[in-house]
Amino acid sequence: MTTKQMKGFEDSYVVEGRMALPYTYFAGRVGSKFITTIRDQKKIMGVKCPTCNVVYLPPRQVCDKDFTDIRDKWVDVSNTGTVSNFTVVRYDDKHLPRKAPFVLALIKLDGADTPFMHILEECEIVEVKIGMKVEAVFAKETTNTILDIDHFKPAAERISVHEINATRKQWVPVDEPDTQGKRKGGKPDMSKPVIITAALSGAATMKNQISSVPYTPAEFAEEAYKCWKAGAAMVHVHAREDAGMATHEHARIKATYDAIKDKCPDIIICLTSAVGMGKTAEQRLSQIVAIKPEVASLNTNSMNFGIVDRKTGKVFIDYVFENTFTMVQDFGKAMEENGVKPEIECYDMGGLDNAMLIGRQGIFTDPMNFNFVWGVAGGQAFRAESFIAMMNALPAKANFTTCGVGTDQFPCIMQSCILGGHMRVGLEDNIKMPNGDLAKGSYEQVEVAVAIANNLGRPVATTDEARLIMGIKKR
Amino acid sequence: MANKIAICAVAQIKNDPNYHYLRFQNMLLECFESIMKQTKVTFDMEKGIRTIITCSDDMFDARTISNNGMTDVVGAHFRGEEKMAQESINGLGYAMACILSGHDDLILFMGHCKESQGESRRMVSNLAYDPFYCRPLGMDYHNVDAMQARAYMEKSSVTDEHLAKVVVRSRKNGKNNPYGRENKIVTEKEVLQSPMYSDPLRELYVYPVTDWAYGMLLCSEERAKEFTKNPVYITGYGSCMDTYFLGDKDITSNFSLKNASQRAYAKAGIKDPKKDIQLFELSDHAAYQLPMWAEGVGIADEGKGGKWIDDGGMDKFNVNLSGGQLNGNPLLLGGAARAIECYYHLSNQAGDRQVKGAKRAVAQANYGGAGQHQAVIVMES
Ligand SMILES: [Zn+2]
Repeated sequence: MTTKQMKGFEDSYVVEGRMALPYTYFAGRVGSKFITTIRDQKKIMGVKCPTCNVVYLPPRQVCDKDFTDIRDKWVDVSNTGTVSNFTVVRYDDKHLPRKAPFVLALIKLDGADTPFMHILEECEIVEVKIGMKVEAVFAKETTNTILDIDHFKPAAERISVHEINATRKQWVPVDEPDTQGKRKGGKPDMSKPVIITAALSGAATMKNQISSVPYTPAEFAEEAYKCWKAGAAMVHVHAREDAGMATHEHARIKATYDAIKDKCPDIIICLTSAVGMGKTAEQRLSQIVAIKPEVASLNTNSMNFGIVDRKTGKVFIDYVFENTFTMVQDFGKAMEENGVKPEIECYDMGGLDNAMLIGRQGIFTDPMNFNFVWGVAGGQAFRAESFIAMMNALPAKANFTTCGVGTDQFPCIMQSCILGGHMRVGLEDNIKMPNGDLAKGSYEQVEVAVAIANNLGRPVATTDEARLIMGIKKR
Repeated sequence: MANKIAICAVAQIKNDPNYHYLRFQNMLLECFESIMKQTKVTFDMEKGIRTIITCSDDMFDARTISNNGMTDVVGAHFRGEEKMAQESINGLGYAMACILSGHDDLILFMGHCKESQGESRRMVSNLAYDPFYCRPLGMDYHNVDAMQARAYMEKSSVTDEHLAKVVVRSRKNGKNNPYGRENKIVTEKEVLQSPMYSDPLRELYVYPVTDWAYGMLLCSEERAKEFTKNPVYITGYGSCMDTYFLGDKDITSNFSLKNASQRAYAKAGIKDPKKDIQLFELSDHAAYQLPMWAEGVGIADEGKGGKWIDDGGMDKFNVNLSGGQLNGNPLLLGGAARAIECYYHLSNQAGDRQVKGAKRAVAQANYGGAGQHQAVIVMES
């Protein structure tokens, strides 16, 4: 402490003090989950009151309008939002997180009903306007407070795929006798729309890895809708039980299928005929015949399909995925007879040859649609030259798309797009974004695929165009 | 109509930017001695003061339970003493409850705040916010009020020019108030040229740092004649707390003030505040709040604050003849300052600024960012 003499009061003194008391505060269970989700998953969550339907941000335990207990009613909200009010703080003070001048803004995140306060920067102060779109920038180092969102910045102007598609001419198929020749020269028709598929679930991606993987029909519908909005023309679906296990139960698969169709009538649904580990051939096929989706997967190899540590080679789960020639033939026939277009899954060149061999029976209608799958433990890893070899082995009228497990995902789809093929993304194959962050959902990977298409100047296929290209009829 | 309580005397020191030569205890002692002198009240345990309500803020005083620092100078030793740590106006509501419930029939109500002691009053209000969602962002009452200002000005067509008028008038009125903070008289042009502070608030739109203390003697209607020939009565009190998070509410709706004033009016039997009340003292922490609270207490039409200023509403309804909070009172004590001004008018002691024949007055105060908590009292001669 210091003392000093006051002018004119030489017999007096003042004491200089400071209130400083270190504290630990408990954020509460609700607050802790909110903050740690931002910190660990770069994801912002609110709570939705089921009584008044208000999505509160910050979250809280009870709705103060109707006293509903909402502590477990978590919903994801977007990292983007709209400025509803702001001030420019032009004074400096010790409690402020930035030097003056800086902008504090009330920001209503997409999906939330209550705006919340945050810092807005990375733009000129004069450009700040009510109504401007902004996005969260997450902190590099955690403080376990709201500053784990470091600040908001103006959102990148993003014109939706649907807006672009509405202004361009719809693609019409042309007779292309020399397609394969062009392909071989690496000069595909880049004006041909690229079909983006989102594989929403798979059989093995679980909520403890990423909460946006759908289990319930309603969750599938919501995720499918987000993917469609982002630019996907098709979703690939492994239906799940409430607890997350992959299911072959017709009723559950039908409910999932119908929920997606209700929410998003245009989108093409490709149901799995693999379903999940340990399912019998009958369980795998009968649901396809019962539901008759527009597209279903058709697997071409009996192969190892396990889980192996990528670094050490240690085997975690050993499993042989059975797809005998008889099964390939029976599945293929049943699909074609029921008007279900097979998506022929090739985990290596042998699988492609298997399909071509069985195809000599005249089972498959043109165009055949192939999917080159990379990085399954038991299949081949992604290699650019392998991709080209498979592409060159396709029949002339065939289409190809591709998907890759884990870090193979983005390189393989980019190569496919360059070579005139299509792209599949989604949480079935990979739960991360190119920068290693967790994806907010399959839709965010769809956005990456759209960006790839945009950068290569390829239009993103509408659902109608995708049907024309793949030779399927809308149901 | 419900029972009422009497204000027998008030005392205050002059509002000052910095009483560096006075401890807050000295500030209170001056008021205390004035009350004793005016009323001849005693500390007799049968008939004198047995209950003291004080109003202070731990953060501004830089000590916790800060009333402990001055119980001696307000006569509270060996007696009931309770601290109002919220806006001082709520101390009047509390005193009213004490007296009307029969808990006690005579109450000394004292308050102080030396805003100049702290390095930053904004840091004090930053500490009013939770440590997770709001405080780390630097939220304080000024930048939060600025948000409300932007939204309200848009809604009610209130312009910079309107706010300049409010500031100029506040300083003029403050000059007429012998206890008003000494401020420079300013022109509208000077106000409009004052630097932006927290957009859209300019520096001169925000009340200045002020030190002040006051005292009031309150008692039951029956006992008033023992202490004064000229009592003023509190006939209605209402308060309302709005939600905490700024985004949860429409910050232009005046929800809490409308509720508080309706409760107070119902208690006091006020049907139409425009006709029934001759004087309004509103706690304008920043200039935009004057028309906004005028809408809230029902003397300006909803969404018409700008027009209300143009139409001369401030003078027509005798609003803030004291200069208001905007001329300078400590943040915590605006409500007591408002009530004391009403007391002067209703007891015909307001000198040059006296509203002739004033029978009823309203004092309003708010606390928290963007007027979260509001309280209104109705006073009658
Ligand atoms: Zn509710």
